[in-house]
Amino acid sequence: MTADNEYVIALLGQPNSGKSTLFNALTGMHQHVGNWPGKTVEKKEGSFKREDKKYIVADLPGTYSLSANSDEEMITRDYIASGKADVVCILADSSQLSRSLYMLADYAGITVPCFLLLNMSDVAALQGKTIDAKALEKKLGIPVVPFSAPDRKSYDGFYTALNRALIKQSKLDYTVLEEKYANIEGFNELKNIIPEGVISGYSKTWLAIKAIEGDVPVIAKIKEKLSAENVKTLEKIIVSIKNGVVVAGESKFAWIDELLEGSVKSEKKSASLGKFDRLVTHKIWGKIVVIAIIFGGLLLSFIPALPFMGIGQGISAIPDPLSDILIGIGCPKIIVSLFCDIFIRCISFVVQMLGFVFGVTLVFGLLEEIGLMARVSYVFDNSMSKFGLQGKSVMPFLISFGCTMGGAAGTRVIDNWGQKVLTIALSWAIPCGAAWAVIPLLSTIFFGAWAPVIILAILIVMILHICVTGFIFGRFLVKPEERYGMIMELPPYHKPRWGALLRYVFGRTKDTFLRATKVVLLVAFVFWLLSFTKDGNIANSLLYKFGHFVEPATKLVGMSWQSFLAFLASSLGKEGALGVLSMLYTNSGTLTLGSLMAAEKASNFNELMLANISRPEGLALIFAMTFNMPCIVALAATYQETHSAKWTAIIGVYYTVVALLLAGAAYYIGLLIF
Amino acid sequence: MSKLTDMQKGAEGTVVSVSGDARFVSRITSIGLTPGCKVSMIKNEKNRPILVYSRDTMIALNRKDCSNIEMEVTA
Repeated sequence: MTADNEYVIALLGQPNSGKSTLFNALTGMHQHVGNWPGKTVEKKEGSFKREDKKYIVADLPGTYSLSANSDEEMITRDYIASGKADVVCILADSSQLSRSLYMLADYAGITVPCFLLLNMSDVAALQGKTIDAKALEKKLGIPVVPFSAPDRKSYDGFYTALNRALIKQSKLDYTVLEEKYANIEGFNELKNIIPEGVISGYSKTWLAIKAIEGDVPVIAKIKEKLSAENVKTLEKIIVSIKNGVVVAGESKFAWIDELLEGSVKSEKKSASLGKFDRLVTHKIWGKIVVIAIIFGGLLLSFIPALPFMGIGQGISAIPDPLSDILIGIGCPKIIVSLFCDIFIRCISFVVQMLGFVFGVTLVFGLLEEIGLMARVSYVFDNSMSKFGLQGKSVMPFLISFGCTMGGAAGTRVIDNWGQKVLTIALSWAIPCGAAWAVIPLLSTIFFGAWAPVIILAILIVMILHICVTGFIFGRFLVKPEERYGMIMELPPYHKPRWGALLRYVFGRTKDTFLRATKVVLLVAFVFWLLSFTKDGNIANSLLYKFGHFVEPATKLVGMSWQSFLAFLASSLGKEGALGVLSMLYTNSGTLTLGSLMAAEKASNFNELMLANISRPEGLALIFAMTFNMPCIVALAATYQETHSAKWTAIIGVYYTVVALLLAGAAYYIGLLIF
Repeated sequence: MSKLTDMQKGAEGTVVSVSGDARFVSRITSIGLTPGCKVSMIKNEKNRPILVYSRDTMIALNRKDCSNIEMEVTA
């Protein structure tokens, strides 16, 4: 307990047990997402109030067991041992009870009070299963509550069970399970030599069975507390056990089966795939159907996005007339420029982006909740696992052809933080809609009928870029020893819980707005400082001086200072780059932040380009712009989803450098050809 | 005794033994495939993940990883 009338509940459950849905339904807008200290694992905390009491909800990482195979599992174990939680809510899926009770069996022996939530009881009922929760409660000694997220009444049961567990400090009765463990050779001997209090909250039974399973951290902890003689005994027992995990697993499932006997009735049904699942698991149709679902989802997400985009575009029309008026009434130019150029324009950008984030989060959150994303994962798991990613990563990749920030928002259905960051890092390599608007245009100007060849080259470089980047980043984000082939369940389809989903999406959008605005304002301010001149003469800006200063270096990769400034502008937004080129080569207009983000290109743009830029230089410019940072808002979205300033900066710098290297390569290849 | 990966579509059987590296065994145990557990083969096509049904759950498995799961085929 952290304070009077304040309780901490930890949610423990396997992936697909409905843990996130419960977490969102309980905490709604009161959530905080961060990372576990020093770990690449997402930490979600939230709170709710009920009858003058405050409850902190800790959403523990989704894991299949409490072994020590991953950071997620270690964090979960350490958190329980830390004593921070007053009560642990263990989730199981009622429709797949025997399998999903494994977490409960693995928890047995931990002395922190707990209760059992039988989630998805609506799905189980549809399948003709009836579960006698009262009978289970008697056998387990803890509150057992049937639960169905879409059903409002379910929550009363949840709160009652929660309070009962807190008042009674209910502890899981595992005597029957222990009897089964006792049949494992060496278990009793091992248990007898383990002293009390090796890890707080974990009983001798739990430690002994983990030692039998060959759990390295547990064995090390036990050894610290043992005499030299007992260490030898322990080592002897452990060496003699083969396949400890399997033997212990057999005991656990034998206990589960006994537990469910008489408490669960089900109509015997033969297992088969539904019509839709037969289609999804088809060799050829599967991929087609999944890609169609993702593009369909993308289109759908534009519907809720449109109003935001309209508002955002409306705001973007304000700065020009407003700055005229403000200057007219005698406002200092620098203040007008700061307010109109940075503040209003950034807000306009962010609002337009929010629409897309809102739409993608809503639509793909819905697909996740009804169980469709698991099918997407199944279909693309083999291809994506080559990068250490889940099959779901294909969705953000496809969205990124339209918009990188939408792709970043889409990664929230990926439950592993490292895989999420890796997916975002790779999706940056995919040219977005804005790039596809700019690149064919430039290609046609410089290479005429050969433009399709350039596009093809870009696609090939994109694939290579993804492979190389995946290899470099993958080693840090998804450790090769933590990767494995597909072992996943295809969960039954669920009804969505609209209230919880919408509250979550609104909370997320608000969060994105705050964080993204900060990032966008900061970057825009830096550019504003660099481009600000009192008289509007480009030659007086820091940006011009910087461009000139580094021109000897950028020349090496085939870029004049004008191209280089256009390249820099393209990291704010690709559309702005053409306007910047027009302006610099015609020597007209003022270079302001506004023009960097959204200048119009000159009417004689084609002639301008051909007159000033050679074809190899043009090739360099095309590659530099295509593979540059997608845009300022994508950067902000990356920060929002990864909540890591470090990784956002690494990805940003990496892409800028690689874009310049690719430009150089394109330039020299161009010199050879033309 | 036969291998899980050799089971025909529609066949049913009981797991006899599970082996492989520690992480795989831990994961496959936690998803419920332990000795004694009944499994029916839903889909088994070359070069594709296999689909089995066990403990009320549809499970997709990487073909290579589960080549070490031995079965007693019953039907």
